[in-house]
Order: sequence, then C-alpha cells, then structure tokens
Amino acid sequence: MTLISVPVVLSENLCLVDCAIMDKVPDQIGYLVLTEDGAVLESGGELENDERVATIVTDLISLSNKVDPVAFTPTEQFKKISITYDDHWFLICMSNKKIYVVKRNISVPASEPNSVIV
Amino acid sequence: MEKELDRVIEEIMATPNVNGCLVADHQGLCLASKGTAHVDSAGMIVAISEQACKIQPNLKPPTVCLETDTKQCLIQRHGTITGAIFKQKS
Repeated sequence: MTLISVPVVLSENLCLVDCAIMDKVPDQIGYLVLTEDGAVLESGGELENDERVATIVTDLISLSNKVDPVAFTPTEQFKKISITYDDHWFLICMSNKKIYVVKRNISVPASEPNSVIV
Repeated sequence: MEKELDRVIEEIMATPNVNGCLVADHQGLCLASKGTAHVDSAGMIVAISEQACKIQPNLKPPTVCLETDTKQCLIQRHGTITGAIFKQKS
C-alpha cells in the first residue's frame, strides 16, 4: 500500500511546485503544463482546462521540429517558442519531458505592436 | 515582376544578424528565399504560422518566434503572404 502511495504523493508535490512557479511568472494571465503528447497536467487562469490550445501547441511543437535542416541543424533543437499578439503573448518551453505554456500580458508601450520580446 | 519583393528581401538581408529570409504564399509555395533559408522549408513555415493563427483566430495573425541557443526564426503572416527571417542572436 505504501509502495503505491509514495509515487502518487511525489507526483502531487511536483505538480504543486509547477503551480507555484507558474503563478510567479510576471504578467502571467494563464498557464498550461502538458505532457509530451499534449495531455493537460496543470492549468490555470485564462488557459484553465483549455485542451484546444494544448492540442494546437503540441502540433506546433511537432511542426517546429521539421523546420529547415540547413538553417537549424538536427543538433540545434528549439528551446523556446513565442507567439506574440498586440497586447499579449504565449511562451512555450519544454523541460523534463513536460511542455510549459504561459500566456502573458505585454506591458511595453503600445507604440511597438507585434514586436517580439526576447 | 518580383523586383519589389527582391528589394524587400535585400533590405531584410542587409539588417544586422540576419542570415536568411524566406517569403511564401498561403499554399506554402516559396516566392523568394535568400541566405540560410531553404526553399523546401516554405511549406513548414506556412504550416507553423497557420497553426499559431488557430490559437486566437479572431485576432490578427501573431508573430511566431522559434529560438535555439544561438539562432532565432521569426515568422509573420500578412494576408496570404508569410515571411520568415532567420537571425543569429546578438
């Protein structure tokens, strides 16, 4: 019984850590933590239980792996994807076999619409 | 006929840290490419921009930025035309 409950407690704790980290992201208005195959592990804010965005993001990641083998050699994996709208942006990162998606407000002057924050 | 497009491409290529540039139509057909940007990736770039547009289809197309440790690929759609710029990180 204890053997089964230990991993469950561990994974719950890890999720709590993810939650705490995602909540601390400045200007964050929503987040998703996904498995590699797109299942939602954690979510919050405007992206709460947003499986539609989760599917789009996983498809986007699999597409991005096939971009230009000349400009980006197979050893150069993309480590960050950002999708920038006029007043908010989505940041997508992969770590520890999990996909982290954060929706953030843009707090720069409105004189630079559609600029990419790096 | 494509003089204007070539001029724009030249202008982009003259920007510091840019090492490739590509323009494609909505079907993924390459209209122009220069530098490290390969003609064959036109379809993939249009697919990525279309996929990104699906997140919020009621808003105007977003700018997509793919990053490695040293390089960036910026993708932006304008009407039926999609442009991609391959940059070295400064």
